[in-house]
Amino acid sequence: MSQWVFAGLKAGIVTTPYPRREDHAHGITPGRPRGGVVASPEEIASHCPVGALAATGEGITVDRGRCIHCPACRADIPWEETYEWATVPPEAKEAEVERPFRRSLHVLVVDAGDCGACLSEVGQLNNPYYNMHRLGFFITPTPRKADLLLLVGPMTEHMKLAVEKAYAAMPTPKRVMAVGTCAASGGIFGSSFVAGHGANEVGSVDVVVPGCPPPPLAILHGLLLVAGRAQEVVER
Amino acid sequence: MITPLDLITAFLGIIAIGIAVVPFIPERRVPQALAAFGSLAAIVIMWASGETLFAGHTFHAWLWTVPGLGRMSLAMDRIGALFVFITGLIYLPVSIFSAGYIPRYTGRYSLKAFSAWYLALFASIVFIPVCGDILSLLVVWEVMSITSYLLVVYEHREERNARAGWLMLVMSEAGTLAMVIALLILAAHGGSLDFAGIRTGIAGLRSGTRWAVFLLSFFGFGVKAGLFPLNIWLPRAHPVAPGNISALLSGVILNLGIYGIVRVNMDLLPITSVGPGLVVLIVGAITALVGILYATVENDLKTMLAHSSIENMGIVTTALGAGLVFLAAGHATLAAIAFVAAFYHMINHSVYKGLLFLGASTVDMMTGTRSMDRLGGLIHRMPWTALAFLVGAMSISALPPFNGFASEWLTLQSILRSVELSSIGVKVAFALAGAMLALTAALAVTAFVKAFAMTFLGHARSELANNAKRATKTLIVPMLILASLCLTLGVTPTYVIPTLDRAFATYTHASATDALVPPFFLATKTNLHGLPADFVHDFSDLGAQSGKNFLPGRGLVVMHRGGEANPVVYAMSPAYTFIVLLLLLGLATGGVWLFAARRRRVVRRAEWDGGVRRLTPSMTYTASGFSQPVRVIFQSVFHPAVEEESRRATAGHFRLAIRRVHRDVYLPERLVFHPLTRLAQWIAACCARMQNGKLNTYAGYVFIVLIIVIIVGIVIW
Repeated sequence: MSQWVFAGLKAGIVTTPYPRREDHAHGITPGRPRGGVVASPEEIASHCPVGALAATGEGITVDRGRCIHCPACRADIPWEETYEWATVPPEAKEAEVERPFRRSLHVLVVDAGDCGACLSEVGQLNNPYYNMHRLGFFITPTPRKADLLLLVGPMTEHMKLAVEKAYAAMPTPKRVMAVGTCAASGGIFGSSFVAGHGANEVGSVDVVVPGCPPPPLAILHGLLLVAGRAQEVVER
Repeated sequence: MITPLDLITAFLGIIAIGIAVVPFIPERRVPQALAAFGSLAAIVIMWASGETLFAGHTFHAWLWTVPGLGRMSLAMDRIGALFVFITGLIYLPVSIFSAGYIPRYTGRYSLKAFSAWYLALFASIVFIPVCGDILSLLVVWEVMSITSYLLVVYEHREERNARAGWLMLVMSEAGTLAMVIALLILAAHGGSLDFAGIRTGIAGLRSGTRWAVFLLSFFGFGVKAGLFPLNIWLPRAHPVAPGNISALLSGVILNLGIYGIVRVNMDLLPITSVGPGLVVLIVGAITALVGILYATVENDLKTMLAHSSIENMGIVTTALGAGLVFLAAGHATLAAIAFVAAFYHMINHSVYKGLLFLGASTVDMMTGTRSMDRLGGLIHRMPWTALAFLVGAMSISALPPFNGFASEWLTLQSILRSVELSSIGVKVAFALAGAMLALTAALAVTAFVKAFAMTFLGHARSELANNAKRATKTLIVPMLILASLCLTLGVTPTYVIPTLDRAFATYTHASATDALVPPFFLATKTNLHGLPADFVHDFSDLGAQSGKNFLPGRGLVVMHRGGEANPVVYAMSPAYTFIVLLLLLGLATGGVWLFAARRRRVVRRAEWDGGVRRLTPSMTYTASGFSQPVRVIFQSVFHPAVEEESRRATAGHFRLAIRRVHRDVYLPERLVFHPLTRLAQWIAACCARMQNGKLNTYAGYVFIVLIIVIIVGIVIW
């Protein structure tokens, strides 16, 4: 017992400085392709296994909803080591007016057929490094107390009803956040005979966190965005 | 001027007319006749006992003389009047309820017989506390035992009922035997069968005889009161008895056991040493704990209530034991407080357990099942029954402002006052008893959250519950009467305490009223009425004197005063708590209505089912599941015999099906009665060896007996 206390005191604070300062720790993000002007864009785009890259004239654009940041294009186009990836879809931007969750947000996580990677990253938010409780974010097991429905996975046929019921059971005001490439667009499993094309199958999505899987800080950024405590990073 | 004796004669007349008239009424009119005679008799007897209890008109009347045994007599003092009053209080609503309840037996069993026994039971219960001598007590006691047996086995064509009734009768008669011996010892030493004669002639009894009388009477009356380990008949008799009889059994007949213990050990032969009180205290605490443990895990609504009755009788007995110890140790005021707590709790138990049994019977009648695993969702189909049952459940869980709170709080407080005692051993016993009562109180909440929630909330778990009929007014009104009594007794402890206190003043020679109910209504800053000045100032700043203009009595605050160092030992006021609760509730509701409800739209959605395709009632939380943690924690008490059976696939790696049966044996049966049975069987087996069927051996026995007789004859003459 006493050792446990002293070990804790000796270790000091290990929690990430984000969102007060940027976190530059090694391996904090897998990075992702940025796109831009490159030589022979058509050839590079054709190498993308998920069809996330598209050639536009002399440059290349990245479809964030499909990119799984595999290293296939790493040697060919510039990558960025960022993690503030969360975005608000255009249709949600128009509807959005108020941000009622500035101080506290209770999150119901529903796994709609994910491979386990996104869920594992969501789980990391509870560890001492990311420690989302310090920011007022809490996981809740029941939709009755949830403000935010956090969906992972491509929305399989069998989970559709459960997600619909969970959303209906949440009290207003409520938000939906799609975490991961699958939830954003269906990803590599998406739109098949068992899986749909992501979280927007069952309703409007307020915040999308792309990535396969998105690093915990990206999810944290998404939560802060829902709470209205962070800004979207606009890509040029 | 009508005297209590006239009223008792009138009561007896009503009962006699009722019994005489019932056989000549058409069967379909019998329920109404029963209700009319029963409630009229109840009102008359409440009036009669009220005259004695509140106004102090005691009486003593000689009846006829029995050759060789002396004269029979009736005598009503305040203690007896208290018990008679409770009897009337419970009989009134139960009689009305019976009018709606017994028609369910039409055509199967005789309603006329039921009514006759019902009224006979009423008369015998009323006369037990009014008897003035041993002979008449025994006669009415036996009438009570036998009529209650007849009513419990009313549905006599079921074998289970007959067995339960048989056990009840056997236990009851065993108790009577012990009680008769105790009373005869008293009569032999007192030189009279009359109570007054015993009281005067009993002085100077040796301590061995005193212990014998105490143990025999405690055992004998303990059977009726349902004390551990003599309570095995209770959980079996209740589920088989008709619902209104269950309410009487728990609400009235159990009290008679307490009455007997009090009459013998406080009135006829007052206990002078600490020992018997300690026995009462410990037995009471064990009874309470064992009762509530079984109540928590039981899924049959009525069996569960039976176990809970055992628990409540345990609490009453614990407080009684505490009072006896305090009295023997010379703390008369503390003893008076403990007795007030005991009898307050007994009254409360009668009221709320009557209510709960009526509720359970209504549920049973309207659905056809008592198993909590098969009920559920009844609040939609029988809202008034649900409301009444909720009040009962809250009272028994000791939640303010209902009556269970006031008495259980007083009981625990009076046990905590054991710090005043000098002996370490007695203190330890009190501490243990207090801890057991605290655990009991906590488990009682669990048990009744389960009983209410599993019966009335959630989904209907079976077709029976789904097709429940609406309860009629005849069933609902009595429950609402008892529910309002629960509230009244809960918020008026400052009026109940003096009444109870007067009943016991003859035995304790001390007043709990002065110690518990300070006269805040009377005390002013100029006339302190014996209260410390800063007290009156503090409390009048708090508003304790409010209401003196429109309320009688001393005040609305219950407070025990200590010495200089510790002026307030404990204090509470359910009346003010109730007012504050109402205010807060009103403010909260009004606030929500004003600021929220009008602006927000209410959206109703289906309940959260975890996202399953279809939520079937069998998927919801069950009563067994709710009490499983308690069952696991107290496994050493329940000690279930587990039979496990599993079918496996050929390879033996996979189980295809598992069947696990838990079979509980009731603790007193396992600890006491089974060993006794085995001993009796062993003795019988030894004796059976004598009977080997050989003629020669039998001739030998005759020869041996003959020789013994001759030797004895020679020696004597």
